[in-house]
Amino acid sequence: MTVSPVRTKPLLEIRDLKKHFPISRGLFRRPTEFVHAVDGISFEIAPGESLGLVGESGCGKSTTGRMLVKLMEPTDGTIVFRDGEYEKDVAHIGRSEVKEFRSRVQMIFQDPYESMNPRRTIFDTVSEPLAVQHVGTVQEREERVLELLRMVGLTPPENFLFRYPHELSGGQRQRVAIARALVMNPRFVVADEPTSMLDVSIRISIMELMTKLARELGVSYLYITHDLAVARYMCDRIAVMYLGKIVEIGPTEEVLARPRHPYTRALLSAVPVPDPTYRRTPVEIKGGISKAINPAPECRFIERCPFAAEVCRTNPHPPLEDKGDNHAVACYRADEIAS
Amino acid sequence: MTISVENLETRQVDPTKPLLEVDRLVMHYKIKAGEVSAVEDVTFTVHQGEAVGLVGESGCGKTSVALSLMRLLPNNAEYVSGQIRLDGEDLLQLTDEEMRTRRWKDIAMVFQGAMNSWNPVYRVGDQIREVLDTHFRGQMTYEQQREHMERLFAAVGLPGEMLDRYPHEFSGGMRQRAVIAMALACSPQLIIADEPTTALDVIVQDQILKELKRIQTELGMSIIYISHDIAVIAEVTDSLGVMYAGKLVEYGPTTEVFARPKHPYAYLLLKSTPSITGPRRQLAPLEGEPPDLLAPPTGCRFHPRCPFATERCAIEEPPLADIGGGHRVACWHWEQVPDLEEALLR
Repeated sequence: MTVSPVRTKPLLEIRDLKKHFPISRGLFRRPTEFVHAVDGISFEIAPGESLGLVGESGCGKSTTGRMLVKLMEPTDGTIVFRDGEYEKDVAHIGRSEVKEFRSRVQMIFQDPYESMNPRRTIFDTVSEPLAVQHVGTVQEREERVLELLRMVGLTPPENFLFRYPHELSGGQRQRVAIARALVMNPRFVVADEPTSMLDVSIRISIMELMTKLARELGVSYLYITHDLAVARYMCDRIAVMYLGKIVEIGPTEEVLARPRHPYTRALLSAVPVPDPTYRRTPVEIKGGISKAINPAPECRFIERCPFAAEVCRTNPHPPLEDKGDNHAVACYRADEIAS
Repeated sequence: MTISVENLETRQVDPTKPLLEVDRLVMHYKIKAGEVSAVEDVTFTVHQGEAVGLVGESGCGKTSVALSLMRLLPNNAEYVSGQIRLDGEDLLQLTDEEMRTRRWKDIAMVFQGAMNSWNPVYRVGDQIREVLDTHFRGQMTYEQQREHMERLFAAVGLPGEMLDRYPHEFSGGMRQRAVIAMALACSPQLIIADEPTTALDVIVQDQILKELKRIQTELGMSIIYISHDIAVIAEVTDSLGVMYAGKLVEYGPTTEVFARPKHPYAYLLLKSTPSITGPRRQLAPLEGEPPDLLAPPTGCRFHPRCPFATERCAIEEPPLADIGGGHRVACWHWEQVPDLEEALLR
């Protein structure tokens, strides 16, 4: 199931992507401080691959997701998207081209209660992308919506077509959101914490549904989550973000079994395990993420890192370096720590 | 930041002695459409120094149980029957005034979402002082109060100066620490922690849970953890109750319930929690949705979703029966559960 990103041409190629938010200090003053929400990240997503983007709140994972579907303009960097004949740096396309690009990508949001217009029926909600893109007649759209509702397990679909979001449970709404995301047959879907508002038993069925649909339809996911256990079940590879930087990226099981960045190690040892007899290794770092306002040039993690040394203080933020098996780490001391 | 509980009152603990006995508690909410059977015949005991967990999904009644214990239910709630005995005394028989003197002093609660636990326009220290004023009126001077609050803050790993700050000046984790400090203010025998770390990032969550556990053990307090997060409950509790649709369906020592869950719902809930350790198991989804508690199913409330349901389950309600070692299960077919693995996990 694991798709190696080297064999096929990647679906998405992200290079040095940045998003800096100015902090306003008064009406007439030019902002001098910037939040470096995403600060020069590069990665690829292969066709059909599911990449997990994990990290704590404020690490820049949602901002990254939003930039990839053009809900937010990047400050800098390129996002090359390939889909058959289509190949473009979508970071630099104009408004007229955005609409076309949007027919190929979609987003699923965290909160199924907030991401839907309460005054529109399920049919309106799911068929909206078709209407916006002027695809098919009303009748064709209805058939397509029925097909999708069936696909996401809302059966019989006729019963759901003209209902309103408030009549559905959280799990059912998230199914509607998935149907809406898939109605245009996208190649790529950004899912931002799609299951974190759902109960455990519902969560599993939504996770299963997303995996199944990805396999059947060949969709790639960027799966954004703070929950490493969920990422383990959903993703072929995971990328760990810290203060706007990717600090580690690699095949899921490899990263979980052999984390190499001190931050990943800390994150993993802090995750509670549903087994009362299991004893975790103690977490080596303190909580509380620092702020990414005009960050210093050296390693972002230096203040909290138990392994920080001279090399970390005198050099810029370390680049992501492949340590074999597609497992890359941004740490000067990764090799020493591993041994 | 060093943490010390040295200067706080510690209690001798006899783990065989019950502290809180919830006895066949039935609590309903009255709404326009009828009566919501939110807590139905719930029985469990919290011993001295014990950490008990209540797990279940949204709407299963776990927070309703917590609010019932504190007698902080909304006006439309009605205690239908049952007792809540703290040290042998039924809290439901107390007048509102008597109950007010017990809250914080005997039972304290750490609420879900620390942001909303604070009044944004008062300094955090002044809000804790208010609790002290209520319970130790005239017994503590202003300076003694300050000293006590600084000890409380030290116990949860916060610097004393933070007492003079407003809630918005605290980070999420610090705010939750302050909430715990407030809960400790009157050295209660029992703390109810309702989703104490749900909104926090994992590293902060880990620290808060560790400190809460340590303070609880060192001060000899009992604690009830309420959470939907099964992994958290696995780590911090001695005993565990699983709730479904207002009923306690399984109860027992945490290690035992995790090792051998007997109720099909508890089994699915515990076994389908994703984990970062162990083999990557096929997770078992649970079909259907929880029932409407305005008209709960007859018989066993889980029977419409249960793969083992028989005719009897739809008619007769299974009691929460002891199957040995303090492990109690409300299911007619619990003995079949060894077959569950095959039937459910495919």
